[in-house]
Amino acid sequence: MVSVPPVLLIALPLLFAFFAPLVNMWSRKAVKVYTLLVLILNATLSYLLFANVMQNGVVYEQLSGFYPPIGILLAVGPIGAILALLINTLSTIVYLTYFGEAENSVKFSMLYMLVTASSTGIVITGDLFNMFVFFEITAVGSYGLVASMRTKESFEGAFKYIVLGSIGSAFILLGIATIYGYLKTLNFYDIALRIDTMPPTARLMSFIFLIIGIGVEAEIFPLNGWVPDAYQGASNRVASFFSLGPSKAGIYAIARLIFTLLPILSGWQLALLLGVFTLIIGELAALMQEDPKRMLAYSSIGQMGLILIALSLHSETALIAAIFLMVGHALAKSLLFLGVRDYARGTLRNPLIAAPMFIGILSIIGMPPFPGFWGKWYLMKDLASQGAWLIMLVIILTAIVESVYYARFLHRGTGGEKRKLSRSETAAIIILASLLILVGIFPNYLYDPAVRAAASLLGGGP
Amino acid sequence: MTYELLQPVFIISSALIAIGLYGVMTKKNMLKIILSIGLIDTGVNVLIVAMGYLPGGTAPIENGNYAVYVDPVPQALVLTAIVIGVSVMALALAVAMGYYRKTGTLELDKEGVMKW
Repeated sequence: MVSVPPVLLIALPLLFAFFAPLVNMWSRKAVKVYTLLVLILNATLSYLLFANVMQNGVVYEQLSGFYPPIGILLAVGPIGAILALLINTLSTIVYLTYFGEAENSVKFSMLYMLVTASSTGIVITGDLFNMFVFFEITAVGSYGLVASMRTKESFEGAFKYIVLGSIGSAFILLGIATIYGYLKTLNFYDIALRIDTMPPTARLMSFIFLIIGIGVEAEIFPLNGWVPDAYQGASNRVASFFSLGPSKAGIYAIARLIFTLLPILSGWQLALLLGVFTLIIGELAALMQEDPKRMLAYSSIGQMGLILIALSLHSETALIAAIFLMVGHALAKSLLFLGVRDYARGTLRNPLIAAPMFIGILSIIGMPPFPGFWGKWYLMKDLASQGAWLIMLVIILTAIVESVYYARFLHRGTGGEKRKLSRSETAAIIILASLLILVGIFPNYLYDPAVRAAASLLGGGP
Repeated sequence: MTYELLQPVFIISSALIAIGLYGVMTKKNMLKIILSIGLIDTGVNVLIVAMGYLPGGTAPIENGNYAVYVDPVPQALVLTAIVIGVSVMALALAVAMGYYRKTGTLELDKEGVMKW
């Protein structure tokens, strides 16, 4: 097996993204093909990296000629490898739908490559400030993607996203400053090694700052007010991309925060509280939505809350549950966002769309044999063994709310005129649905990497 | 780090951050919100620069003529943060312009930016 330097996963798409305008000068039509090739190359590299990490354990790479902790270190653990593979593969599949459009914007393709690269950067870095920079690249690229529709709604959504994103990045900086003030280091390992020398109040302070700041991308309460507006204002493709890329990178950063960076009990309790809040608010708000896309966005918030609950339990089973929920949510939500239209325009009148979307909905609700089911199953198992009946009750009640509004979605979606879809859109939706079925029927292919990821994270590694 | 020396800086930076957060939460005019974001960014940057300060320290430039020099890492962080802040602000202004062209106003809908 060839060993791929992880830095290529970030550097190549960044480089190619800035060459895209040159390709555009040569031929406008070639840009789409060029972008697809870059994305396929990145997905292949991320698969090779994934195989390497599964075989040989954590992969380190030191950048810029300085030794850590001064130089920047990339550290790819099992969970980083899983998410890098997930983000790069799914972003390639979602980009396929762009071939069905008459529109051909080189800026869209550039931003798409940029956000893919920086989301991947978040999940493979081993340095706190480097992670902040990737967060900012992801955020700025995402603002552009939301605004690219140039409608009133998209400008409004992008503006809210920018405002909350800037506040979030200020919070991340405050958290970084607090940690640096006490420990004089930004390297994850160095911080984790010496975290006990920090006073408990300062540790909790920096935990709060970081979880609020990262919570913007991870769609966690309290700074997630941008989600419904931005998702509604953005094109379906972009909404679908957000639910597989930036949000997953954000939740990965929270996992690192909970497990490696600041493993403190008060922090986990806070994270649990935020998770429960996010879950309840998201699901109840989704129930009240008239617009199907807005409903899906609120449902995303609820799902991210569920993943945060699983992470904050800090146990092996719950961590495996979190990974199944992440993969299930990325697959199902990117599928649903691609397929969704207004109720009047008959979202579900075409069986080629209705069948895959039904599979996606079943996975989100947690019906067997889909990834969402395995996630909720392991989570429930862990909660039962810890005796956390109240949280179990909350999750069951929100699951009922979830099935109510998805049932309404299925009912109302069948009205309206029969809908035509481009071939590339149908293909992407069917590929995503078959991936959901595959992961659901053969959970072991995800279970084994998830066990490794849990062991690595609980052992204090990446 | 000498805490007494930093205390005025803490007060200034928390005041800037608090004013900025107040502005973002209460104003509905896009330009005022963008200005508030600028205040928050400045407050955070002031705090980070102050953290690396040493009494009597010189700039961290390698020429052999200094005894005490300030910590270079916070300065590098702040430089990065300033560049990011400027580009985000430019983007926010561009979006505000686009919104103005579509709607003819810079006021957000009645609930403002914190609407859920």
